[in-house]
Amino acid sequence: MKINKMLFVSEFEELWLDALQSLMSLRKAGMNNVAFLHVISRDKVAMRRGTGYLKQEERKIREIADIRFIDWAETLYEEGMEVVAHIVIGNIVPKILSVTEIEGVDLIVTARRKRAKLEELYAGSETSDLLRRTDKPVLIYNYLSQSGKVGDNPFERLLLGLDWTESSEKVLDYVLALKGAVKRVDIIHVISEKDVAKLSNKMEAQKVERKNKKRLDEVCDVLIKEKFDARPHLYIGNTEEQIEKGASEHRSTMIVLGAKRKSIWKEKWSGSVSHSLADKSELPILIIPAEIK
Amino acid sequence: MAKKVLNVEDDPDTRTFVTTVLEENGYIPIMAVDGEEGMEKVREERPDLIILDILMPRESGIKMYHELKTDPSMKDIPVVMLSAVSKRTFLRSTAALTEFGDETVPEPQAYLEKPVEPEDLAEILKNILG
Repeated sequence: MKINKMLFVSEFEELWLDALQSLMSLRKAGMNNVAFLHVISRDKVAMRRGTGYLKQEERKIREIADIRFIDWAETLYEEGMEVVAHIVIGNIVPKILSVTEIEGVDLIVTARRKRAKLEELYAGSETSDLLRRTDKPVLIYNYLSQSGKVGDNPFERLLLGLDWTESSEKVLDYVLALKGAVKRVDIIHVISEKDVAKLSNKMEAQKVERKNKKRLDEVCDVLIKEKFDARPHLYIGNTEEQIEKGASEHRSTMIVLGAKRKSIWKEKWSGSVSHSLADKSELPILIIPAEIK
Repeated sequence: MAKKVLNVEDDPDTRTFVTTVLEENGYIPIMAVDGEEGMEKVREERPDLIILDILMPRESGIKMYHELKTDPSMKDIPVVMLSAVSKRTFLRSTAALTEFGDETVPEPQAYLEKPVEPEDLAEILKNILG
C-alpha cells in the first residue's frame, strides 16, 4: 500500500492553506501529488424565479476558487510537488467520489460535513454518507477544534483503534505505509462493557484480557520491527468514549480506525463507532475502509 | 501550409480566447483540457507549437512540460506557457524537480502570465513560428 496522491477538498471556510501544509508530513511517506477539489453547491447558482441560472455568480465563485487554488498550488509546486485542481458544480459527496475516481487518489482529506438537522435524522451526515460510499481512506480533518489548533503534523502521534475484524488488518497496513510521517503509535483495543458482563468469573475475564493483550503485542511487534515507536493499550468500557479517552491520555494527534461498509439503515440500528467518531471527535480522524483497494 | 498549435487549457473562456487569436492569425488550433489529454494530442497531431496552462485537472502543465522536454521525439516542439501561476514559481518548481532527480529541462520559449493581450500572444507566436 502506498500513499502517492491526496485529494484535498476545501470550501475555503473550514480548511485553509496551513491545514494543507500540515499534511505535507506525508511527503516523508512518499506522497508527491495533490489534487484540489472545490465543489460549488448547486443551491448557490441554481435557477431562481425571475433571474434564471446564476451564471454570473458561478463565474465569481469559480474565479475566487481559482485564485485561492493557484496560491496554494504555487506553494506546493515550489517544493517539487505535482498539483492538479477541479472546480465543479454539484453535490459534494458524488463529486468527491467522481474526482477520487478520475484522479486515482490514495487518501481523501475533507472537513467534517453536516446536513440540516431534519435531513441528518434520516440521511445521516454528509461525512457518514461519504464514508459509506467510498473504498478509499478518508481523513476527516478538524484542525481547528474548540481547544485550539491541532499541531503542525497531525500524523505525529497516532491512536490506532483495532477491533480484530478484517478492517484492522487494512488499518495496520495503511499505518505501515505512513512510515516516515509518524513518530509514535498507541494501539488500543476496547473490550466493551457488554462483553465484560457476559463473563461469569474472574478467570474468564483474565483469559479475555490475556488474549487481547497478546494480540496487541503482536501488532506492536510488527510496528516496532518497522522502526515505529509503538505501545499497546487495553481499555474497557464504551468503545467511543474509551477511544477518545485514550487519545487524550496519550496526547494523540490523530485517531485511526477501520470501517466496514454498512447500509444507512444497518448503521442506524447497529451503529458505527468510526462513523460516529468521525462526526464528533475534535481530533483529526482517519477512517480506513475494509474494502480498500 | 498553416501551422498547428495545441492549446492545453482547462478554462473554457481562455480556450475560446486562444482559439480566436490562433484562427485570426492563420494557425490551426487543437485543444486539450488537461496534461494527460495534451500528451495524447501531441503524439497524435505533432503540433508545431504548444500553449500550455499549469493548474489543470489530471496532469499539471509543469509535469507535461517535463515529459515533453525529456522525450527526444518531442523536446524540440516550442512551448509557450500561459498561466496565472507566476514564472518564478515555474522556475522554482523546475529546480525542485531537478533536485528530486528529474532531468534538467530548458526554460520555455516564452512565459506569459494571465491575462494576456491578444496582440502580445499573436506576436510571440509569430516570433517563434515565423
